[in-house]
Amino acid sequence: MLTAGLTAGLTVEGLGARTLAQRLRGPGLRLQTGPFVACVRSPLPALARTLGHMYADYPVLDEQALADFNVLLTGASGLRRFIKPQVRFHFDGMTPFQPLPLSQAFPMFEWAMNWCVSSQAHSWLVIHAAVVEKEGAAVILPAPPGSGKSTLCAALVARGWRLLSDELTLVRPGDGRIDPLPRPVSLKNGSIDVIRAWAPAAELSPPVLDTLKGTVAHMRVPGASVARAGEPATPAWIVFPKWRAGAAAELVPVAQARAHLRLAENAFNYSLLGATGFAAAARLIEGTRTFDFSYGALDDAMSVFERLLAGRR
Amino acid sequence: MSLPISWRLAPGQLLLHRCWGGECVLYNDLTGDTHLVDEFALELLELLRAAPMPATLLGEDASCATVLADLAALHLIEAAPC
Repeated sequence: MLTAGLTAGLTVEGLGARTLAQRLRGPGLRLQTGPFVACVRSPLPALARTLGHMYADYPVLDEQALADFNVLLTGASGLRRFIKPQVRFHFDGMTPFQPLPLSQAFPMFEWAMNWCVSSQAHSWLVIHAAVVEKEGAAVILPAPPGSGKSTLCAALVARGWRLLSDELTLVRPGDGRIDPLPRPVSLKNGSIDVIRAWAPAAELSPPVLDTLKGTVAHMRVPGASVARAGEPATPAWIVFPKWRAGAAAELVPVAQARAHLRLAENAFNYSLLGATGFAAAARLIEGTRTFDFSYGALDDAMSVFERLLAGRR
Repeated sequence: MSLPISWRLAPGQLLLHRCWGGECVLYNDLTGDTHLVDEFALELLELLRAAPMPATLLGEDASCATVLADLAALHLIEAAPC
């Protein structure tokens, strides 16, 4: 976790497209996302364009700043430049993933950044969960793919909740608070049009077809959430969401011991942290109310979350 | 003729746990797993932490014997000669 080297007020947008592309091609873009600095390098113009738009508000560090993660996305060489061109992700000299079609460069960047954090950031209990906050109270939404987690997260953010993360909840073992890691919200397949209709003002990246997850687009993070990326939040609820067509919005309490186990199942490094992970999860359970949440319509879901919030006032 | 045995807490188990509403989560120091157990099982573990107990004494009750077997399968307790 590094903060040195932050040039006052400099953002990706402030760099301008030309300097952004130069940094990506050359020494690397030192991009601050939450507590992490990533040095991103890539000669791919399309990646530079999308990254420049989706990360416009994010702080940039100077070229000498040390990075937590050094990532490189390259195109293919030889005939592969012309026939079914590909993108390849490199991390500290390794290529941990299979190459993907070039059109998937931005989704690959996002997945790679998630991988960097989930596989390296063991100073936190890292839960596969979205987390949003309003009025000082954070709600953690742990869920496997297909549960409607990201759609719900995007809808809440579009209605004024602060985004801490769409994918990775960073729980501090020391005090149980959550460090924000706001990055673009990943939307898949039908949820892309759902959010377009629900929140016409939301800025989405161009949909990318035929990825391993189907069609993927990302929702840009509101500037207010990026601006508060250094401000931790206190968890108040853990809600396990499940979207079902036509389902009424319903919160059902989950017994705490069972919620603890489910939280552990959704954590990337619970076992690795051992007793520290157990204690962090237990603290989280003791400090929150835990629910299963089924929903079929975003309007109903929003009402439920506003009622949760009203119950604390 | 088999030797008499006693049940004891497996060495290295610290019994880090939390209980809420009659259900407990227990961290297994030897396997890194977290188990869902009831308060009865936890009381048994606390009893065995205080001192090993003869199997003949604990095994008189069938339900107790089942719980002991389950805890042994999880490497939380072990049998040892008296």
